[in-house]
Amino acid sequence: MTPTISVSKLSKHYKVPEREGGMKAAVISLFNRKYRTVKAVDDISFSIEPGEVVGFLGPNGAGKTTTLKVLSGLLHPTSGAVNVLGYEPTKRSHDYLRQVALVMGNRNQLSWDLPAIDSFELQRAIYGIPVPEFKKTRDDFIDLLELKDLVNKPIRNLSLGERMKMEIVGALLHRPKVLFLDEPTIGLDVTMQRRIRAFIKEYNQRWGATVLLTSHYMADVEALCKRVIVIHHGRTLFDGELSTLVTQFSSFKTLGVTLPNPEVDLSQYGEVLTRDGARVTLRVAKSKTSQVTANLLSDLQVDDLTVEDTPIDDVIDSVFTLNEEIK
Amino acid sequence: MNPIKLAFTYLRIGVLNEMQYRINFFIQLLQSFISVATGLIGLSLVFGQVTTLAGWSRPELLAVMGVHLLMGGVIRSIIQPNMERLMDDVRNGTLDFALTKPADAQTLVSVREFRFWQLVDVIVGMVVIGIAFVQLKGTLGILQLLGFLAALIMGGVMLYCVWLMVTSISFWVIRVHEISNLFEGLYAAGRWPVGIYPDWLRTGLTFLVPVAFAVTVPAEALTNRLSGTSLLFALGMTLLFVILSRGLWRLGLSNYSGASS
Repeated sequence: MTPTISVSKLSKHYKVPEREGGMKAAVISLFNRKYRTVKAVDDISFSIEPGEVVGFLGPNGAGKTTTLKVLSGLLHPTSGAVNVLGYEPTKRSHDYLRQVALVMGNRNQLSWDLPAIDSFELQRAIYGIPVPEFKKTRDDFIDLLELKDLVNKPIRNLSLGERMKMEIVGALLHRPKVLFLDEPTIGLDVTMQRRIRAFIKEYNQRWGATVLLTSHYMADVEALCKRVIVIHHGRTLFDGELSTLVTQFSSFKTLGVTLPNPEVDLSQYGEVLTRDGARVTLRVAKSKTSQVTANLLSDLQVDDLTVEDTPIDDVIDSVFTLNEEIK
Repeated sequence: MNPIKLAFTYLRIGVLNEMQYRINFFIQLLQSFISVATGLIGLSLVFGQVTTLAGWSRPELLAVMGVHLLMGGVIRSIIQPNMERLMDDVRNGTLDFALTKPADAQTLVSVREFRFWQLVDVIVGMVVIGIAFVQLKGTLGILQLLGFLAALIMGGVMLYCVWLMVTSISFWVIRVHEISNLFEGLYAAGRWPVGIYPDWLRTGLTFLVPVAFAVTVPAEALTNRLSGTSLLFALGMTLLFVILSRGLWRLGLSNYSGASS
């Protein structure tokens, strides 16, 4: 099977003007501008199979959005080759653009003053969607996201979450085969995030669409993506199953201990993370977990004891810090 | 996607939505009357002193005023709103959405906005032209009418091209909003036939900001002083402006990289 998305040795460098603060430097830079090259993406390769949902992770400025923009044809790569659905995105051929969608959680494309239903009509005109197909897709999506009562209100009167749902409907009306989702749930409350997640999952399953998703909410990634690609400073740190990432990078477990006597010092057993009355949480190396648990139970009177995997957020965090240390 | 169909869809939805804000109609009507009134006062001041101005009689200048008003309405209802939205899109990075659509990007960014009520100026302009024509006691031949319409369309296209070129600069210089104020100032100069201005200004108003072609030339067509050669020259200029603006737009687009990485 040929991959839907293949990226090989992609680099994108920006030249940004650089000057020191202050009036003098500002005047000098008018005439003699110094540039600095920023390697937003530096030699990244990956490929994504049809129907896959892949999480694209990395801290702010890691190069995620840049990569998505290259894939959607907005930016020209400095070097490397990109192919999506057999097209070269940079050429922005209309046949290609008709099959993909870019959703950015922090930017709106729907017109502020128009009710969503009108903006959807404009999308229909732009994509040239046949009317019956358009109506069916639109009404399906509106049902799935429970937007029925809101489509006739101007976008500016909607809440952030409602607006985002409308954005997603608008972006997917032409039933794209490939979705580039850049922080689709940013700033939304938990319920709204869940609703959007469920919708993306449904869309992926119903149409077999390929999804590349960036998010800072690990819950999004856990719910949707089996596979993740972690990038940092424009380079790939990890590409594989989410579960592998966890076992590979999570070398600690978290122990929760409840003691009848809160005065006891537990620092000899592990790193004390929090202490809340009688409840103490400890960070313990994975290999020592069973030993420490046994010691705790034999040494002290323990009311309750729990052992948990490190939360996924902390795992990701440790991937980045580990990388910094190696550098 | 057929660009005309696309433009029509935007137009229809824009009109339907603006219909809801009927108060804007009255505000616009008031504005039109104020500009007609100030224009008339200006004319009567001038003709209190002289009987012709650079060869133009009073009703002829009324026709110029009418064309100026009409063209101003076209600018404010279509050209300016679209170009201002384009500037905002470039600054906010939302142009990305227009560029990921399967449609010609220039067409798309030129048809998205439509200020329906500004068309009141177009109607009022036509009425003023009509009155001027009655005062001239002229007869409107079919050739004259066609010349007038052609000159009007070419003038409108040229103004659009200049706006697009200026707006394309926003790909390099993110803040260009002041430029639309500058443009308004220059366009105001078109209330009078460009022949009355000193050479340097007339050249500027002809070739840099083609107010001459947008207002004076159509008015000339209407008042029987336009030659076929001038019309042909206008056609050449229109083509030149179209090609130049398209080129600059594409250059700007290739330079565009979004407001954030």
